[in-house]
Amino acid sequence: MKRIVVDANLCAGCRLCELACSFFHEEVFSPTLSRVTVVKQDVYGLDFPVLCRQCDHCPAIDACPTNALTRTELGTIAADIEACVGCTQCVEECTYNAVKLVSEPLICDLCEGDPQCVRRCPTKALSYEESKPDTRRPEYVFLEMRRRWGIDG
Amino acid sequence: MADLKGYAGKVLRIQLHNGEAKIHDLEKELAVGFLGGRGFNSKRLYDTMGSGTDPLGPDNRLMFSTGPLVGTIFPTASRFNVSAKSPQTGILGDSNAGGHFAAEMKYAGYDQIIIEGRSPDPVYIYINDGDVEFMDASHLQGQDIYKTDEIIRADLADQRIQTAIAGPAAENGVKYSGIFVNLMRAAARTGLGTVMASKGVKALAVRGTGSIEVADPRRFEELVERIEEEIYSHEQYWPRRKMGTTRILMMANEEGFLPTRHYTSGVFEHAEEVSGERLAEEFNVKTRGCFACPIPCSRFYVVPEGRFKGLYAEGPEYEALGSFTSRVGNGDLGLALKAIDMCNKLGLDALTTGECISWAMELHERGMLPRSMADGLDLSWGNGEAILALIEKIASREGFGDILADGSRAAAAKLGFGAELTMQVKGLDLIMADPRGLKGFGLGYAVASRGGDHLRSEPFLELSDDPQRGLEMFGVAEATLRLADRGKGKLVSYFEDWNAVIDALEPCKNIMQNMEILTFEVASEVIEATTGLRMTPSEVRLVGERIINIERAFIVREGIRRRDDSLPRRFREEPLTEGASKGTIFDQEPMLDEYYDERQWDPEIGIPKESTLIKLGLGYVAEDLRKMA
Repeated sequence: MKRIVVDANLCAGCRLCELACSFFHEEVFSPTLSRVTVVKQDVYGLDFPVLCRQCDHCPAIDACPTNALTRTELGTIAADIEACVGCTQCVEECTYNAVKLVSEPLICDLCEGDPQCVRRCPTKALSYEESKPDTRRPEYVFLEMRRRWGIDG
Repeated sequence: MADLKGYAGKVLRIQLHNGEAKIHDLEKELAVGFLGGRGFNSKRLYDTMGSGTDPLGPDNRLMFSTGPLVGTIFPTASRFNVSAKSPQTGILGDSNAGGHFAAEMKYAGYDQIIIEGRSPDPVYIYINDGDVEFMDASHLQGQDIYKTDEIIRADLADQRIQTAIAGPAAENGVKYSGIFVNLMRAAARTGLGTVMASKGVKALAVRGTGSIEVADPRRFEELVERIEEEIYSHEQYWPRRKMGTTRILMMANEEGFLPTRHYTSGVFEHAEEVSGERLAEEFNVKTRGCFACPIPCSRFYVVPEGRFKGLYAEGPEYEALGSFTSRVGNGDLGLALKAIDMCNKLGLDALTTGECISWAMELHERGMLPRSMADGLDLSWGNGEAILALIEKIASREGFGDILADGSRAAAAKLGFGAELTMQVKGLDLIMADPRGLKGFGLGYAVASRGGDHLRSEPFLELSDDPQRGLEMFGVAEATLRLADRGKGKLVSYFEDWNAVIDALEPCKNIMQNMEILTFEVASEVIEATTGLRMTPSEVRLVGERIINIERAFIVREGIRRRDDSLPRRFREEPLTEGASKGTIFDQEPMLDEYYDERQWDPEIGIPKESTLIKLGLGYVAEDLRKMA
């Protein structure tokens, strides 16, 4: 399936992705309501946009006690807000911290196949392409970049 | 404020003496008259703080303001102004920075944060949406900017907070210490970190979970897309992406106005070795950007070789880079990066630090400053050891560093000599462009409301050297020729008004003005789509003019007159002897006459005329000035 692929080497940490996301979904500008969150380590100049990777096996779906999470045709994870009881199991079980629970679970829905974060990204750190789910966590990618730059610490 | 979108809608007033935090609605007339950011701060400082206030006393007020575009997706809208009375200059203190702090402030609900009084114990202020807590900061005393940020994040167990920090230099009372956000983005100028520290406040830590709405989402989105397209297709896009402002260094050298060895020359023989181009090729490893910026121009570097191999940080920008290379005669890029890194961690304004060291070096080279007076340091041009030692000494106010710790003007007064060689206006040390090679910039330094500074006007258009632009815009061909004098009053007034509007709306001046994107016409459209306020382009310009005039009134009240609108003697009397700006001087008085005429200020004393203030709706200011006279 087509997924959003992150290249942290290119990410400048500007968070236009967060803004594009909340504007598309909620028509307001709010990182809190964004399905993508850029995690940062300013001291090492590092940035990584965290969002749902549509894992082949989604632990959040399994963990949901009310079966509020389901897989869509596009491959994304959708929440039934009627069924959701706000227990935060999905937030805790997601391997990549890609689920937020504000008043309902916020999970990347790929904007119905035209992801706005990809469209707005000025550095092409985000792309939308046929790919396997990336299994590297931000902390690992950060460490790898620091090693490459020789600032292992 | 419910009827105006774009704004967060609230003002937070922190009263340190009694530990209270009060929240009130943003006044609509303030938004209409001054738009935001620098406008809010300058207006409120004028209105609420009398003349003669001690900058380091409890009566000084420190204000952070951001603008209506910040927090939205509007390209580059990330900035804030912080203002107070300056301990360095004794007049209006004001500085601007980007990063991610301002947006967080908006999401927490505030357009402006005002800090009054003095805390009996050291604190940092934790602002978590509507909750404000005074946190013990005794464990942060003396900690550098990086360490302070790290400890606060650990204490609050929240990596999403944004901090604004004063460093150890500020705590030691160095009068040109800045306020730092995202570790190395500095509201560096005029000593506002010193003001914050004098209030017993080490830092602000802000977390906001709210939203910003715009008045007309569809039209706003269309405008954003149009402006993004202009940015992406601009000829300066890639040079800026690659080098940020460091791209200026080689250009300034080629045009012969790169301040070298304390402005004794406009060309530096090692320019290429310390250039933005070299940084980009050999040092930079990654791009970084401010909040909401489609032209992220910051760079993360790792020094690849030499004595400082392995040093890493974000930046630098041109002013800091120039200050520790050509200005002090240093051709070692690694050493300059080390010096800038030290300034950032200690919380110093790199520009003023560079000027103080550069001035001391000129005194040494002229035989005016015996080595014994400078703690035995060899202050020969470019001596890296002396440069690094002096930064430490300044930050801790130790030995000769104590002499330099209040700025070059104060240092000359303490020594009793060298005053005519200080490169400052109104006590603020000059930037990295020799005014003999950029006449409009020079006029801007002379009249800027915070002292010798370029960001109040920054008339980049004169670098075009295109007489047609001058004719079209100002009816004077010379206005846009960098070495010409005529038309500069009109040019500078126009750009001052423009930049005041940008400092009020708070996107990035480098993009919105230098790349000629957010004109008064476009700003008028953007303001309406964002806030719902309808203003014609000329009304938008009037906001800028209003800001300039209330700032002038503020400094007039502190005693500033035409005689203070003056550049150092060197620029007025001694021509540059080499390079592409050779042979010219800065012919100040005719340019000032033209400027006051354009501003409609009294040409004898440089005070706004009553009719000018009344036109701007500042009749009460006219009344104040009349009473004062």
